[in-house]
Amino acid sequence: MRGERVLYTIFAVAFGLTALLILYPAYYALELSFQDLDSFISEPEWVGFQNYAAVLDQPEFWAALGRGFIFAGITIVLQIVLGIGFATLLDAAIPGKPLVRGLTVLPYLLPTIIVALTFQWMLDSQVGVFTQGVRLFGYEYIPWGESSFAAMTVVILLSVWIWTPFVTLAALAGLQSVPGELYEAARVDGANAWQRFWHITIPQLRPVLTVVLLLRAIWMFNKFDIIWLTTRGGPLQGTEHLPVLAYRKTFELYEVGEGAAVSAISFVILSVFVLIYFYFFPIDEKEE
Amino acid sequence: MSERKLGRRMALYAVVCTTIIYSFFPIYWMIISSFRDDQSLYADFSLLPGPFHLVNYEVLLGLTDYPNWFANSLLVAFGTVCITLLLSVLIAYSVTRLKFRGKTAVVGTMLYAYMFPPLLLAIPLFSLFVKLDIDDTRFSLMISHCTISLPLGVWLLWGFFKQIPVDVEEAAMVDGCSRLKAFVLVVLPLTLPGLVTVAIFSFLLSWTDYTFALVMISTDSLKTLPAGLDTMVGSYELRWGELMAGSTLIALPLLIMFMFLSRYFIRGLSAGSLKG
Repeated sequence: MRGERVLYTIFAVAFGLTALLILYPAYYALELSFQDLDSFISEPEWVGFQNYAAVLDQPEFWAALGRGFIFAGITIVLQIVLGIGFATLLDAAIPGKPLVRGLTVLPYLLPTIIVALTFQWMLDSQVGVFTQGVRLFGYEYIPWGESSFAAMTVVILLSVWIWTPFVTLAALAGLQSVPGELYEAARVDGANAWQRFWHITIPQLRPVLTVVLLLRAIWMFNKFDIIWLTTRGGPLQGTEHLPVLAYRKTFELYEVGEGAAVSAISFVILSVFVLIYFYFFPIDEKEE
Repeated sequence: MSERKLGRRMALYAVVCTTIIYSFFPIYWMIISSFRDDQSLYADFSLLPGPFHLVNYEVLLGLTDYPNWFANSLLVAFGTVCITLLLSVLIAYSVTRLKFRGKTAVVGTMLYAYMFPPLLLAIPLFSLFVKLDIDDTRFSLMISHCTISLPLGVWLLWGFFKQIPVDVEEAAMVDGCSRLKAFVLVVLPLTLPGLVTVAIFSFLLSWTDYTFALVMISTDSLKTLPAGLDTMVGSYELRWGELMAGSTLIALPLLIMFMFLSRYFIRGLSAGSLKG
């Protein structure tokens, strides 16, 4: 075909630029993790695996790793349960469906800063609307910023609020492709609503849910902004997971090498999930 | 029987209402709080909208860096959209039209890169920007945003371009069009919905980003809206009215876009267009 050479050139230039922009930093992060430097302008010194050894020796690393799994695990389960619930609702015959669907999706589009600020305002210790509501029912305000458990709960609930629409939309698309005859046949056989949901809907949604689960795992494990904006990893590192630890080491403790080592470790964990994803969903060249 | 049906309908309506309140109440509360003066924010308490004051907006726009941040956000988002559209169209188109080994690897790399969390890229990128002496500039932030929007753009457009049969442009080229002309006149118009989707989501990624902005920009007047608004939290006592006004103004362009372009939003979101 004509113009092939031009096309090759264009491809090489554009892809080269993109790779430079994305792959080089990823490589550079690895390189940093093998160096000792205490600011971005100082002269780096090659120290081999010293940063990794130091990081793996710190209890705060293991605590952060554990918190990361707790945070990701609980948020993912809640998002999937709620997301399937919303999708089932949106799939049913309800009044004003487009509007309801739009409103359900909306939280996902909001910048994290807005969500963090609005919820902090709603949870304000004196005049927050939640605080007032809770008082109305005779309960006392929980100082959520002062205990690790309460702070973690708040961060988890906020994350669920923001990122559930991802599951909702995916599950809704999945539900709409379930053939109606399956439900008809089950109804004829006398299956009740719950049985139909459990034995038809869930198995039919399985492929969609696998994608959702993997993508949620990849992203929730590395969420930085919601935790940083809501708690800064506090109180007393009570909500600090690996990304927050990496940030604090790099920009507050000026341990750039150790921060990079923490990032590299998160990166390896992330890559495991990505490999599983590619294993289940290979990019099909035949589609082209 | 009909009583049971009625009960079931009532239950469904109740669930719908709960869902709406759950999803929309915080946004509603943010907006009505932004219009309240201190008296009604801190002393009187009502769930209903009002009273209606503009004092928070006046302070925010008159006495803070907010208008500056708004302009910075627009500039960075606009730059990100332009770079993303240009490069992702070129890559996605040439990948679908060329035959060479390792094509899947190119697309796979993009998908992999699309899954990178911002903070993991932000630290090495910042370090590189320091070396190039372009750290703490809006340009560096624009480049950083492209690291998330480009893989997305390539990935989405790859899906669009491969649906357009090669015959379409070959026919045009037989009729005497150059490849460029065939591409611009025949292929691009067919992928317009894809281009709109990529533009919307690149804008959204850039407009809402906090992580990159936090790492890349330290000069207050160069900050974008999310990072700028965050500095107001740390600096003095919390002025909730102004913070809610600031939040509402950040959300406003998104809400307007969402109202008018919701089918692109839903389609793009269903294709997994927002990482997060």
